[in-house]
Amino acid sequence: MANLKDIRKRIGTIESIKQVTRAMKLVAAAKLRRAQLNMEQARPYAGRIHGVLNHLLPDIDRTMHDLLTMRPAQKKAFIILTSDRGLCGSFNTNILRQAEHIVKAAGKENSKLICIGRKGYEYFSKRGYEVVEHYADFWNELDFSHATTMARAVTSRYLAGEFDDVKVIFNEFKNVAQQEIIEYHYLPLVLEDDAEEISTDYLFEPSKDEVIKSLIPRHLNIQMWRFLLESNASEQAARMTSMEAATNNAGDLIDSLRLEYNKARQAAITTEILEVVSGAEALVE
Amino acid sequence: MAAQFHLEIITPTKVYDEGDVDYVRAPGVDGAFGVLAGHTESIMALTIGEIKVVKGSVEKLYASTKGFAEITDKGVQLLVESAEPKGDIDLHRAQEAYDRAKEHLSRKQEEMEDQVRALRALERSMNRLKVAEKK
Repeated sequence: MANLKDIRKRIGTIESIKQVTRAMKLVAAAKLRRAQLNMEQARPYAGRIHGVLNHLLPDIDRTMHDLLTMRPAQKKAFIILTSDRGLCGSFNTNILRQAEHIVKAAGKENSKLICIGRKGYEYFSKRGYEVVEHYADFWNELDFSHATTMARAVTSRYLAGEFDDVKVIFNEFKNVAQQEIIEYHYLPLVLEDDAEEISTDYLFEPSKDEVIKSLIPRHLNIQMWRFLLESNASEQAARMTSMEAATNNAGDLIDSLRLEYNKARQAAITTEILEVVSGAEALVE
Repeated sequence: MAAQFHLEIITPTKVYDEGDVDYVRAPGVDGAFGVLAGHTESIMALTIGEIKVVKGSVEKLYASTKGFAEITDKGVQLLVESAEPKGDIDLHRAQEAYDRAKEHLSRKQEEMEDQVRALRALERSMNRLKVAEKK
């Protein structure tokens, strides 16, 4: 039978763990709300840029802009978004496993990695992958300027010919209980065919080409911003769910330990009574 | 009252819905241009500068960065990467950015790309300061 004092100590420990996990859950929930709000606010801008670009791209010459030109994809780059911190369930494990799989399929030697979030950087740099750029410690004060900095860094490396093809691997926020890992083709620019019809013929100023040239970097910035927001929301949602599970588990554990404690206490009392009674009986004889 | 049109200033982090306005002036790549109701449908590239909105006798100024304007018969949407109403400009931050950019530019041996970046930052901060100090 376990020692009473030991059980009491364990209950105490688990009680404080439960408090921590509950606090983490609440913090994650608050951060998730903010992340969702950010996502909503980015939507109109992203939607319009995307709409106009989609409308324009089909009838322009792809060779007019280096970011549109398709080059034979010999050297590839992957942008991988993870979190800085753990305790968010299988959020990082899942994406790292899948990303590694994708990169291996593309050829480890021909691939360069850009890791956004510390977990990804730690994982891939230890395993001998070529990480050309990494970002960490910004998730808490996430700002649009982070997205522009990253987009610019990727674009200038791309234009310098360091790689011919850039894909982004990130967690897309489906709902609080669900994240989906997405592989997105970032560069060269390919747009889906869901081109929203803009019926009118616009007047372009200064010229159509100039407008497109100015639109492309805007588009890349807002896409990068979207990846950051999606990943951030997913991370907070994953943390919230896993911390909730942890809090519940701690509760269950405490319940079963209490039961064990009470049993042990009763057993101890029974033994003591038995000892007293048999002692008294011995005296009578 | 003259005809009005609907104006929205849309940034990645916020939408400023101005409602129906009389006039807007935006910083086009080839110089500022003004829009009144009934303007030809067009898409125009915008550069760093100030957006002026006129609604009745009220004038409003924004400091904005690059983007573009979409003018349709339904109204005008200005899609810019950042826009701050005159009163919301963080002067302290703009001044800091200005000083930082100046310092970068004074160091000669830096790479071309950093120079360009510093120049852009300088442009943005100067624009903010300029708009904020307007009467």
